[in-house]
Amino acid sequence: MATPDEDPKKVYADFEKKVKRTIYIDHLSPQVTSSVIKAALAQCANVVDVEFIFNHTIPYDIPSAALVELDDEIQAKAALDLMNDFPFIIGGMPRPVRGTCAKPEMFRERPPCPGMKKEFRWVKQEDGVEYEGMKKLKILAKRQEVENMALIKNQLEEEKELAKQQQESLDGNYKKYDMLENVIQNGDMKSLAQHYGVSVADEF
Amino acid sequence: MDGSNENIQFSWGKKRAKGGAKMDTQFYDSFTFDNVKYSLYDSVYLFKSGDPEPHVGKIIKIWQQNQAKKVKILWFFFPDEIRKHLSGPVMENEIFLASGEGTGLADINPLEAIGGKCTVVCISKDEKNRQPSPREQAMADFIFYRFFDVGKCKLSEQLPEKISGLEVNLLLNPKVEQVTSFSEQEAHGVDQKVLNAPLPLPQSTVKEDESPVAAVSVPQSVVKEEESVAAAIPLPQVAIKEDDFPKPTENVPKSSENIPKPMQKVLYGERPSKRDRSKWFKLSWDTRLRNADEQGTLVYIQNLDIQFASADIEELIRDALQLNCIAKPINHPTYDDPNNGKAYAIFKTKDAADSAISKINSGLVVGGRPLYCSKGLLKVPKPSETLVGHLTISNLKMGQRQREEQKKAVSTSHCSQPNTMEYDLALDWMLVREKQEKKFRILHKKHTEERKSFASMMGK
Repeated sequence: MATPDEDPKKVYADFEKKVKRTIYIDHLSPQVTSSVIKAALAQCANVVDVEFIFNHTIPYDIPSAALVELDDEIQAKAALDLMNDFPFIIGGMPRPVRGTCAKPEMFRERPPCPGMKKEFRWVKQEDGVEYEGMKKLKILAKRQEVENMALIKNQLEEEKELAKQQQESLDGNYKKYDMLENVIQNGDMKSLAQHYGVSVADEF
Repeated sequence: MDGSNENIQFSWGKKRAKGGAKMDTQFYDSFTFDNVKYSLYDSVYLFKSGDPEPHVGKIIKIWQQNQAKKVKILWFFFPDEIRKHLSGPVMENEIFLASGEGTGLADINPLEAIGGKCTVVCISKDEKNRQPSPREQAMADFIFYRFFDVGKCKLSEQLPEKISGLEVNLLLNPKVEQVTSFSEQEAHGVDQKVLNAPLPLPQSTVKEDESPVAAVSVPQSVVKEEESVAAAIPLPQVAIKEDDFPKPTENVPKSSENIPKPMQKVLYGERPSKRDRSKWFKLSWDTRLRNADEQGTLVYIQNLDIQFASADIEELIRDALQLNCIAKPINHPTYDDPNNGKAYAIFKTKDAADSAISKINSGLVVGGRPLYCSKGLLKVPKPSETLVGHLTISNLKMGQRQREEQKKAVSTSHCSQPNTMEYDLALDWMLVREKQEKKFRILHKKHTEERKSFASMMGK
């Protein structure tokens, strides 16, 4: 009979292996689908499964993220090297994606880790000092949560700012080249060259 | 074949005996539905309109009568359905085969209620059971090794001799691994079944019950050896709800004690369109959250240990609050603070959810962490169409073709090379990213230390 004692251990060991051959990719465009990821990694790894992470906790518009299971650990390493050596771009320029090793707690569906302690107790008002302490700890946790959210908000704004700057400089650059092209094409360039007695014909 | 069902492909397989009171019931071994072949003893998903969760059962009889195609389904129970009678751990994907006698064992359903094939592997170590290969087990949607007696409401690992009149080994793993080579096994199985199944035989019924019911209208002619299976079913409308025993009504099973298997599962014409089929039975967690939020059964728990998996949280709630729920951790890997584990839990009822919230908030401390929780789904904005930082060049002169190409670029990927402008821009992003990661690390480390120093203060 499958004894409950040994089975969870085996299940968890299997899961740990899965974690090792999985990579976590974030800063993905929301338009990216699993087939896009598959194609993107085709040069170094075979994608077995893609699980997108639903955002349930962050009240902001954050990039999409996914856990990508590959054939084995070697492929996972190769894929991460590829992403970290150069900016690796999927589905839009120029913001690259970010790849890291997966960790067990990233998986929503995971077997329980054997030996996990789940000691609980009730702390009532009558417990006096301890009750007060726990109340304070709760407040601390909530404050930390607010701090974390503030940091996220700050970072998202930073990203927006950078995107705006880049877009402006890109537009500026584009305008410049567009102007140059026009000057050459409509003959202004030639007439100016004639006027000043400069020979440009070879260059263009 | 009446073709009444939106042109979904259907054909019968091998015929078996005829039966029924008027000899108008034709039994079959198999059928093909929507290009999937279903045979006796296959496990299938069944859906019921209005019920988001699929049910899983085994086909134990297939027949047609008056143009109506029917299947008899022996149920599997999900852990949730028999939680009351469950103690100790439940394996992942474990379900329980119904056994014994009583309501909830098996039901007759329209054949169209079948939503798809399902792989259920029996891992019982009993010698009657062909041991599944590791591959088989890995591929399985569900596994089972325990049986739930619907009459006695008891769970057992012991293989019963028979379930619903069938030799139990028919209900374990097929003798051959691949479903395609089913026929041989079936041939054996069928004979055996006909010979060994005493229940449907009218004679035996008479002996046991000595009630006039048994005598009901089974014409002599029908009781030939081969066709005995069919004979016993004074079927349709009348018998639909229960097993096939022509039972006197006062003999109603005592087990009305909460075995929530539905009786009839489907309404014709409510079949979801083909395209959605894959989603019928695997409702995404996301949809379930939304449903639960609407019904007021969703609770958002915070300040857990981030290492807790679903089963840990569920066990904790069961032990601490004596309430059942389905829970899942939901921390975002990039953005959430790892000091503060978060989870959604779906409770059975609104009252259960409300009482869980007030109890948890009144002072439940787990491993030194006071939990806190609130009701309902957090408001999270819908992700926008594009990612911040993916730039486009707006160009009026760009031709239709080029624009198409730019659209297609979404599905491309590459490593940025150092001699391009894109590379410079990408480096800006990587720099920002590094900075952000560092900030997160510093903040989260600070949080950990704050918690530690608080704990040591409390310890004094």
